[in-house]
Amino acid sequence: MGRRRSGPPRGGRPVKSKPCVFCQENVAYVDYKNYNVLRRFISDRGKVRARRVTGLCPQHQREAASAIKRAREMALLPYVVGR
Amino acid sequence: MLIVIPELDEEQVENTVGRFRTVIERTGGEVREPNHWGRRKLAYEIGHRTDGFYVVMEFTAGERTLVELKRILRVSDDVLRHMVVKLPPSYTHEPLPEPEEVPA
Repeated sequence: MGRRRSGPPRGGRPVKSKPCVFCQENVAYVDYKNYNVLRRFISDRGKVRARRVTGLCPQHQREAASAIKRAREMALLPYVVGR
Repeated sequence: MLIVIPELDEEQVENTVGRFRTVIERTGGEVREPNHWGRRKLAYEIGHRTDGFYVVMEFTAGERTLVELKRILRVSDDVLRHMVVKLPPSYTHEPLPEPEEVPA
């Protein structure tokens, strides 16, 4: 899963790794009730964004993904946007 | 956390929540003051309804609490959806004295 995490960028512009936002803020628990925060990690179609886009660390990406799924269950976030 | 159907008024929502509160207390759990989010739009339609009352309760559970509570939530017609989540012991920022659970 996390294969392409680090390592030298091959071709193209070098990838700057920015630190994970949750780590920066010392978040111990990604809360599904914070749907506005979670919104930053879904695409405009409602899909979970890839780690390479969100820049989250593996733990937080995983937690964010499950939080998004919980939020969807409670109709705080959509499963599908449009159509 | 639970979603109550929008046809009720505030008071009826209180009553509904009160029922679950009794269940939790009767089975040896402790309930913190429920957090009413009020009426909100749902992100998608559930049973032809586009909004609902959101209520978040945090509680500790006794041995029988979860079985009982889930059963009653499931058969309650005025609950659109519910979710019980185990909170991590580290859960603090809003509330908790000790490890508890949030019916979501």
